Amino acid sequence: MKLKSVLFVMVIGLLLAACGPKPADTVVTQAVPAEPAATEAPAPQPPAEPSAPEMCMGAQPGDELTVMYVWSGAEEEKLNAIFKPLVDTCGIKIVAESTRDAAVVDTRVQSAPPDILFWPSTAPVDLYTDKLVPLDTVGAVAENYASYWVDLGTKNGKWLAVPVKADIKSIIWYSPAQFEAFGYKVPTTFEELDALVEKMVADGNVPWSMGMESGAATGWTGSDFIQDILLAQQGPEYVSKIISGEIPYNDAGVLQAYQTYYKWASDPKYTVGGAEGTLNTGFLDAIYKPFASPAEAMMVKQSGFAGGEIIKQFPNLVYGTDFDFFPFPGAKGMQGGADFMMVFGTSNATKAMVAYLTGPEGAANWAQVGFDLSPNKLAAGKYADAQLAKKGEALANAAGFTPDIGDTIPAPFGEAEWKAIIEVLQGGDIQTALDKAAQAQAEALR
Amino acid sequence: MLPTNIKRQGRLVPWLYLAPALVIMLIFIVFPIFNTISLSLKDKTSTRSAEASCVAGEPCWGALENYRYALTNPEMTQALRNNARWLMLMVPGTVIVGLLFALLADQVRYESLAKSIIFMPMAISFVGAGIIWRFVYHIESGGGEQIGILNALLVQLGASPVAFLSNPAINNYALMIVGVWLWAGFCMTVLSAAIKGLPTEVLEAARVDGANGWQLFWRVMLPMIAPTLLVVTTTMVINVLKIFDIVFVMTGGNFGTEVIANRMFKLIVTDTGRSMAIAVLLIVLTIPLVLFNMYRFRLQEVEE
Repeated sequence: MKLKSVLFVMVIGLLLAACGPKPADTVVTQAVPAEPAATEAPAPQPPAEPSAPEMCMGAQPGDELTVMYVWSGAEEEKLNAIFKPLVDTCGIKIVAESTRDAAVVDTRVQSAPPDILFWPSTAPVDLYTDKLVPLDTVGAVAENYASYWVDLGTKNGKWLAVPVKADIKSIIWYSPAQFEAFGYKVPTTFEELDALVEKMVADGNVPWSMGMESGAATGWTGSDFIQDILLAQQGPEYVSKIISGEIPYNDAGVLQAYQTYYKWASDPKYTVGGAEGTLNTGFLDAIYKPFASPAEAMMVKQSGFAGGEIIKQFPNLVYGTDFDFFPFPGAKGMQGGADFMMVFGTSNATKAMVAYLTGPEGAANWAQVGFDLSPNKLAAGKYADAQLAKKGEALANAAGFTPDIGDTIPAPFGEAEWKAIIEVLQGGDIQTALDKAAQAQAEALR
Repeated sequence: MLPTNIKRQGRLVPWLYLAPALVIMLIFIVFPIFNTISLSLKDKTSTRSAEASCVAGEPCWGALENYRYALTNPEMTQALRNNARWLMLMVPGTVIVGLLFALLADQVRYESLAKSIIFMPMAISFVGAGIIWRFVYHIESGGGEQIGILNALLVQLGASPVAFLSNPAINNYALMIVGVWLWAGFCMTVLSAAIKGLPTEVLEAARVDGANGWQLFWRVMLPMIAPTLLVVTTTMVINVLKIFDIVFVMTGGNFGTEVIANRMFKLIVTDTGRSMAIAVLLIVLTIPLVLFNMYRFRLQEVEE
């Protein structure tokens, strides 16, 4: 009789278990819930003019525009500030959904695609080639972009993705005050950088702060660093050929870059905490170390966003004297990350947004708001922020441009690359690790 | 002989009552399973046969190519090996710890309070628990102070800090401890109910016959709660086979901690075929246990 109650508890238990760890649950947790109408279109409509402003491309007040992007919080606010002139003028209503999860995007694209998708790589171009709308048919202005940008977003002769936001990655952050105190000079060639690093070690200073812990994406900071070494040792064409698969990932040039990286990233004399520090330090924590007091390291190689993180952590530091950056010495080309705009819809509101962002008003406004850099040529000279202006200049002066390998190559290859870096730092043989990554590269690019 | 009222309603009516449940199960369980199986035979475009991803001169299993990946790829064999380790350590871990707590809680004054505290981790979302434990295991490199409680303790005791999550010699065990922490409360609750359900006459009779506590446990209690123990164990086996959250949140499958479900998740967008083959592999591994559990339940109903 009492067995009945036991049985009952067990059934409840089973039910509990059934509700247990299923991947699907986590997908939901990952996804930031839809934020309906992040930008509430202000009610005032354009006064009763017979013709709506030209920039609206025929969009009527109240028209809905569905967009999907990875940004949230402060970044989303900046984006909304950039959208504001268009939203105010045309009275369109933006329905935004923010997620970083590719699986969520995939589900939406297969069911009800957003009018516009902003994504930090061109991967959707390969995944949804047939669903995307060629940009020239919805009013995008190709002349405002350097040809390599257009090439990056072109597939099967159709222009499907245009960059709206860029951040340069081939830069090194340092403290001018520290450099001055020790008499270090900003290096301009890779040899100078190498010599500077050795000098720092000889002085008893730790040159680098590296940290690549980043949850499921652990490895990306190592990938960025190695790409900059490749850009210096081999040049941008070599990197492009790795991306396209013409050069296998276990090539001698890659091996050389890994050896340089391993020397810097695994020895406690060269980087904070040695290999263990590189593997376990969060990438944000690594940014802080050169600027802590006392400084734990002299330099950190990190993308443009690091400047904002430094200020957030140390609000008293001043850009230019306490912290500054220089382009990766000797890199024959700039590595960068970009967020691309891709279009699934053909409504008038969609066209208005595409024309706005690829045209002069959008470019100027993007630079004014200062949401990183705008790859739009017309943004030049419009930046309000000194840091951004310097970065924009560095991007414009770059001898060439390669996208971040990690952002461009198919995910299985990218994952294999990260695993190779981790394996090497854990003491594995470099050639063996690269052979495995090369196999994933061949498989992914087939 | 059926009772007359059941006879009167005929054969159709029971089906009518069953219909809503059946329809829901067909849509949300049966159809997805068949769809998954069919996708697992396709390549990453989900349109061509999986054979299309074969390379000349390399082993190929034809339409079952994705299963070749699921069973032979080094990443996958690592995941399979790790899942086996999880099974061997976490299942006994949760069941034994749960049983221990159930027995001990039976002896203390504030039983329900003690049990509530041990059950509490079940109330935390698994992702939350993963984040909590990331802090517990945190290691600070360089000169900074250790903020992870374990490493702070180690440093206080004069030892050097340990990279719990990235050292391949210990990281899998560090993750399993989190699993045991999360699930031991569940095992305790179920086993405690079983122990409470034991007829006191039998226990008293054993005591009168001169059995000591040890004998009482091994010779009397354990055989009597064996069916429950078995169900708890199989339930845990199913849970551990599907383990995902802890690994995804804490290491992302890096540093040699990959598990099956994490591979499935990583491949969902980039190579649906392979991801689905892994999903089918998981179903195949789980089904015998589910059937066994159902069989046990039916057996117990009969006994009653």
